[in-house]
Amino acid sequence: MIAAWSSAQSCDFELSGRVIDEHDMQPLAYAEVFITSLGKGAVTNDQGHYRIEGLCPGTYQVRVHHLGCEPVTREVRLTSSTTIDFKLEHHAEELRELEVIQARPDEQVGQPAKSVDREDMERAAGTGIADLLARVPGVTVLATGPSIGKPVIHGLSGNRVLILNQGIRQEDQQWGSEHAPSLDPLSADRITVVKGAASVQYGSDAIGGAVIVEPVELPRTAGISGELRGLGQWNGRGGGGSGLLEGGVKGITGLGWRVQGSGRYLGDSEAARYTLSNTGQREWSGSASVGYRDHRRGASVFYSRFTRELGILRAAHIGSTTDLQRAIESGEPWYTAPFSYAIDAPRQTVTHHLLRVQGSIALTDRNRLEVNYGYQANDRQEYDIRRAGRSATPALDLWLATHTAEAVLKHWIGEHVHGKVGVTALAQENTNIPGTGVRPLIPDFRKESIGAFIIEHMPVGERLELEAGARAEGTLLHVRRFDREGQLQAPEHRFTNAAFALGASYQLSDSARLRLGLASAFRPPHVSELYSEGLHHSAAAIEEGDALLGSERSLKATLDAEAALFGGRLRIDATVHASRIKGFIYLRPDGTRLTIRGAFPVFRYTATDALMGGLDASATLKLSKRFAWRMRGSTVHARDQRRDEWLFLMPADRLENGLLFRTASGGKWRAFEAGATHQAVFEQRRIPEGLDFAPPPSTYHLFALSASASRTLGKGELRIGLQANNLFNTAYRDYLDRFRYFTDARGTDIVLSVRYAFGRFAEKRLHDAG
Amino acid sequence: MTISSKLLTLSLLAVFALASCKKDKEDDDHDHGHNHNEEELITTVRAYFTHSVTNDVVEFSWRDIDGDGGNAPVITGGELQPGATYAVSLLLLNESVTPADTISNEVAAEAAAHQFFFATTGGSLTWSSYADADSNGLPIGLATVWTTTAAGSGNLTIILRHEPNKSAAGVSAGDITNAGGETDIAVEIPYTVL
Repeated sequence: MIAAWSSAQSCDFELSGRVIDEHDMQPLAYAEVFITSLGKGAVTNDQGHYRIEGLCPGTYQVRVHHLGCEPVTREVRLTSSTTIDFKLEHHAEELRELEVIQARPDEQVGQPAKSVDREDMERAAGTGIADLLARVPGVTVLATGPSIGKPVIHGLSGNRVLILNQGIRQEDQQWGSEHAPSLDPLSADRITVVKGAASVQYGSDAIGGAVIVEPVELPRTAGISGELRGLGQWNGRGGGGSGLLEGGVKGITGLGWRVQGSGRYLGDSEAARYTLSNTGQREWSGSASVGYRDHRRGASVFYSRFTRELGILRAAHIGSTTDLQRAIESGEPWYTAPFSYAIDAPRQTVTHHLLRVQGSIALTDRNRLEVNYGYQANDRQEYDIRRAGRSATPALDLWLATHTAEAVLKHWIGEHVHGKVGVTALAQENTNIPGTGVRPLIPDFRKESIGAFIIEHMPVGERLELEAGARAEGTLLHVRRFDREGQLQAPEHRFTNAAFALGASYQLSDSARLRLGLASAFRPPHVSELYSEGLHHSAAAIEEGDALLGSERSLKATLDAEAALFGGRLRIDATVHASRIKGFIYLRPDGTRLTIRGAFPVFRYTATDALMGGLDASATLKLSKRFAWRMRGSTVHARDQRRDEWLFLMPADRLENGLLFRTASGGKWRAFEAGATHQAVFEQRRIPEGLDFAPPPSTYHLFALSASASRTLGKGELRIGLQANNLFNTAYRDYLDRFRYFTDARGTDIVLSVRYAFGRFAEKRLHDAG
Repeated sequence: MTISSKLLTLSLLAVFALASCKKDKEDDDHDHGHNHNEEELITTVRAYFTHSVTNDVVEFSWRDIDGDGGNAPVITGGELQPGATYAVSLLLLNESVTPADTISNEVAAEAAAHQFFFATTGGSLTWSSYADADSNGLPIGLATVWTTTAAGSGNLTIILRHEPNKSAAGVSAGDITNAGGETDIAVEIPYTVL
């Protein structure tokens, strides 16, 4: 368009040059170089050369794209034939050659994939990963008191949200709603939420979506870089810290290492009017990795260990429905004690180990083979309040070991079509460690699954990109349990599933993009849904599994629009989604049973068909050079189709408004940012009759303030941030907090965070801030 | 061999070594299996009513030998004399194991962390007072005193609270309202006064 007026002039110029890897200066073959406005382009040859002929004089947007690279766009003014070399960067933001398979959101053509803002990550330091993710519209938190949170995507959580940590599917007893993800958000450089059915890409369970946690890629050149963080938290009277150190090896370009460690120590949280006794938590985690990579091959080893100990609100431990009724009627916890750091029963300890080995090799210029192996061990103990000194003996003691392996061939077919084809395997074993003196909540089991998938991308013209994929997966589940007579039973279950994905991404203009996705996902029932049997203490309910349940299968459609309007003054991002889940498994009341603690309601795992839909949106309006207004909101509607009623425990509608201030410089301090936000979470009125013990909590409003700034200090960069959450100490309860029957949520919290970064981390952050 | 392939080989070796030694332990567990005994279960509540004059003993009981689920509990009421005073002692058992565990011994050993509460319907039987105390001089309820009036029938309720707040208002006098704690037992048994 820009060049259109000049069409009368001579149009025989050419644009040529090379596309090279910035770090090792190797040529990049099969990179695409396109002139956006003309729909004209070329693909580089083996030496990285490209040539586009027949160009008129003018100014063009040139976009360079290479498999595994973030596209680079540059403005080129053409007055004669010109030679331009493009360097594709290896920076964390731009290129993750090794991790591209699982992780690059750009591989999601049709699926809406949103990264958590870096400033949000800074601000949320000190909260768990679920609270961090809740900054993405459409993501909420399923909480169990102040110390346990699980991410909820479009109303689905637990086994319906897949967490991919370091490219490995996280297996940490995620079926339990009081089992928070066992990973440290401080270890992540980027966290992305895929808000679509994503089974093709990631395998079973990604019905609601997937959370992708990625570190920075390892350095390839010598020179030490690092980062130190410190954190002080007023509510809980504690804090945390983390440190990261990495470097390369002199003389061996491509070899890099990193060590990282972090810790958190918090005492009891405070609600607006009382102390939440026994809600302290401690976390310790560390990781080490080493790897080598060049343009053609790479290998890396990564190990991390995460340990968490947390207390569960004392007042939420109850023994009967009468106790629950009493808690609901009294409106405040029956047990409060002065603030303490001590953690007593009921409490949990979890240690999660992850070992990952990766290798990749370019078989030809057009094919790359990647293999990825992961071993995870999750060691979980839950301690209950028990008689005769048994509180020191875990009431639940589980060891879950998981091996995952995959081999993926990334390839080009012809000039434009590229994609990947792969096989994945999982072997898992769950063991109840003897000695608890309690009938196990879930039985021992062994699970094996194997799957194969293919996913291909095809650009059509300059603006449209299409994606199509499919996966087939089979799962074998061997269960070993003892019936009431002490007889060993060994039932076996087989599940076979298939999924497909279709996606399209359409560039409406340089500043607007539409994504349309239609994808399916599946989830075989978890052992807990098949064989649970017994009393769930904090829920005051007997939960019974159903061994005849089959897989959940879902079909989800998403339409996502991102646009910058009015010269970039208004940015909007909206996702509309609709899905149908066949065989949706949930707990449904099924009479009562008389026990020695009184009569309990019995809840049985039941399947139905669910129809869900909703909207997530965010908009940022630049008011002036320094001020901006931001709105974020989401709504989810979910129906039980067989019973024609609302589905239980779906997130309430919410809306956040914020005024943001940002200035690049101010004396020694740079990148000064401040914000004031208001969040309204509305009363959930879409509820089924008779499934809940108490009505949903009423609408609540929370206010927050934040400020942060950076400056150079020595050879590094110092950033200090201060944030106040729940500014007015509002007493509120959230519908998705399982402890809302017992207590208010947390009151005011003030968080001070300090980060010092040096080496490439300082450069990167400064670059981001600028 | 290049650096990368050496690294890869080494790391794969390490992985399999690690995986295999862990696996031995698990396989062992898996082959034998473990039936986890329910140690803390209370299957049985027995209340012995002893007539203060005749010393006749009437037994009331609530038994659910297989615990929650399975077979329904068996509830056995009793017949009491009118206008009498009874000394009542409670026995709690776990009869799912052989020999049966006497849970009331555990309650007595942790007396300060336990307290029984009682209620009746029908008006012919009334709970009157505690007849035991923990180390703080606060009631437990394994031994209590009851009285009967005229003939009639109704239900008696026995509640055991674990970790109650015994010093809260009214609790040591047997009022459960401010007791807190969690319920370990809440059973209802019919009675008749002849």
